[in-house]
Amino acid sequence: MKKKIYLDYAATTPIDPRVLKIMSPYFSEKFGNTMSLHSLGQEAKQALEKSRETIANLIAAKSDEIIFTSSATESNNLALKGIAFANQDKKNHIIISSIEHPCIMESAKWLETKGFEITRLPVDKYGLVDPENVEKAIKPETILVSVIHASNEIGTIQPIEKIGKICKKKKVYFHTDAAQSFGKIPLDVNKMKIDLLTTSSHKMYGPKGAACLFVRKEVKIEPILHGGSHEKGLRSSTINIPAIIGFAEACKISQKEMKTENERLTKLRDKLIKKILKTIPNSYLNGHSKKRLSNNANFWFEFVEGESIVIQLDLLGIAASTGSACSSAKLEPSHVLLAIGLKPQQAHGSLRLSLGRWTKEKEIDHLLEVLPKVIKKLREISPFKKN
Amino acid sequence: MKKPKNKKVICAMSGGVDSSVVATLLKKAGFDIVGIFMKFWTMSKKNDLIGERNKCCIPEAEDRAREVAKILNIPFYVFNFEKEFKKKVIDYFLTEYKVGKTPNPCVVCNKKIKFGLLLKKALTLGADFLATGHYARLQKRADGIHLLRGKDKKKDQSYFLWQLNQKQLKHILFPLGNYNKIQVRNLAKKFNLPVLDIPESMEVCFIKTTVNDFLAQYIKPKPGPILTIEGKKIGQHQGLPFYTIGQRKRIELSGGPFYVVAKNLKENTLIVTHFLNIKSLYKKSLIAQNVNWISNKEPKLPLKIKAQIRYGHRIVSATVTKKLKAENFELTFTKPQRAITPGQSVVFYQNQELLAGGIIAS
Repeated sequence: MKKKIYLDYAATTPIDPRVLKIMSPYFSEKFGNTMSLHSLGQEAKQALEKSRETIANLIAAKSDEIIFTSSATESNNLALKGIAFANQDKKNHIIISSIEHPCIMESAKWLETKGFEITRLPVDKYGLVDPENVEKAIKPETILVSVIHASNEIGTIQPIEKIGKICKKKKVYFHTDAAQSFGKIPLDVNKMKIDLLTTSSHKMYGPKGAACLFVRKEVKIEPILHGGSHEKGLRSSTINIPAIIGFAEACKISQKEMKTENERLTKLRDKLIKKILKTIPNSYLNGHSKKRLSNNANFWFEFVEGESIVIQLDLLGIAASTGSACSSAKLEPSHVLLAIGLKPQQAHGSLRLSLGRWTKEKEIDHLLEVLPKVIKKLREISPFKKN
Repeated sequence: MKKPKNKKVICAMSGGVDSSVVATLLKKAGFDIVGIFMKFWTMSKKNDLIGERNKCCIPEAEDRAREVAKILNIPFYVFNFEKEFKKKVIDYFLTEYKVGKTPNPCVVCNKKIKFGLLLKKALTLGADFLATGHYARLQKRADGIHLLRGKDKKKDQSYFLWQLNQKQLKHILFPLGNYNKIQVRNLAKKFNLPVLDIPESMEVCFIKTTVNDFLAQYIKPKPGPILTIEGKKIGQHQGLPFYTIGQRKRIELSGGPFYVVAKNLKENTLIVTHFLNIKSLYKKSLIAQNVNWISNKEPKLPLKIKAQIRYGHRIVSATVTKKLKAENFELTFTKPQRAITPGQSVVFYQNQELLAGGIIAS
């Protein structure tokens, strides 16, 4: 069988071999528990703190502001629920955007059942939140604003710095879910006035099972996991050292290669977008043409189902996605695509192609050759097509 | 089976013995196979759909289907048909019961879901055929495709397939039609498929315990009087949807047994009798609604056939006497039949061939 082409880096990435190499001694030789007194434990603790420093560096934070978790979902749950419950004595209002990842959407929905008030900000047709709307939505009861940095589905990058400044001025906590952008776009929590920030390792060539939440020192937050007081009491659990070591190494590599990699991917992405819109009739770009992640392209095609495209591509050896990996098992149209104004039928015709470290130009060329044929064929037998 | 050249087949895989053997047989025959698992029903009550889980398409079944696909080294995908299944099958099922009928959901599922939605998707994916594990046979002849009973008389599922048309049949494969169940089990063993300890699924897939338990969740009981044929009130019923013509169970009255003779929806009364074989339970004829002729050609009437008025029931001699309005036909039995149940399917056979079917009118 021919080598598969992977164009679903936004769902997850393969681990970088350099990362894997660094991790391996931590499974069997340096396997200590960071809470142990003996030297094995101390060795682990040291490695943990070094990793913390590396990750803090990447976003200009202090290292004791980094809380390790198991996933971006956990980080986002901690951010929303932890802030909500720590501050509920005085305030009960939280603002999110309408294109957050399900773990924010669902956490907010759950908080609503616990008596919190949630405002979901609209976005424009590119998926952009208007900072003015943030300012208007903030009221005396507002505790927190949470806006995703870059959309996992359509790649739109939000004006985070402007929103951060507004939150700072209004004295409201500001959280951003940077799971997709961390390691791809420069982030500075001070310059951007971010109080909490979610990252993830497996979206940037690190292992699964590691993530972190940046929590600015003065932020009042409560844990959602209680136990042995790891991570300053904010996240009890035995520390997953190998994964965190790998996460930190992945950060180092990303920091070093970010600029050149971004330039390379932007070129590939733009070629992909331009050619698809040109060669496939009735195709449209979802999201913004410039303000988007360098590795994300998302389209909708008239008269076809995204699911059929994905399966057809898979049968041809190309891995792609209809939307986020989390929603592809559902039949519901993506809430992100509906929020940018697509009709359910249009949202069902969407395809996300996300590129990454090992994407080669000839792979993009191959896709550009195959996709128009696939769409054409699907349209010929499409049940939607009106003559 | 003829040796196929690059023919692509979508195989519906439920994780059970039958469909796993189908996939294996087709793969061995050289077809280009893609396995599909259909999810009918996993919504929780919270989502305002159905609370209980379908007992067939549970995660364990999905995992088994995936495992078989992996063993066969074929691509495998999961299609989520929850919404459509709820709309087309469950809603139909409930609506029919509410108006006093006893519907057959599998017939509708075959038409609208398996050989409706799934077939459409299969064709969209460029497949030539959709294959399932039904025990029925298809025969291509000069005048079209004929639908025959499965060779295994006990397992024969042609009864459930009467709503299919030529357009659909053209793209369907029933590879188990010439096997009996024991042979299929032996094949599964021979092929080393991890499906041997799975119990046979026979009943309606979304009914976990009994139909009445299921109905009780969705239909508000409307009790009313139980009357004898003579009009004497002898007790109270729990709501007409919970009773079926001819049944003896669940009439909890002393001095039984009692049998349901009729349901009077207007008066909300249940009419019962002491006598198993009372004359009024027998009817000489029925009207079949929405009749579908598999050949797509209406035969000359009157037509002598063998009729089956419910699944697993014996076949009896009858004559299709005349066409009424629309696609309704009148059927006259040689001997009167007991407990003809509105809502059930009546199908017409000649020898092995299923000619047509319809829904029994009230």
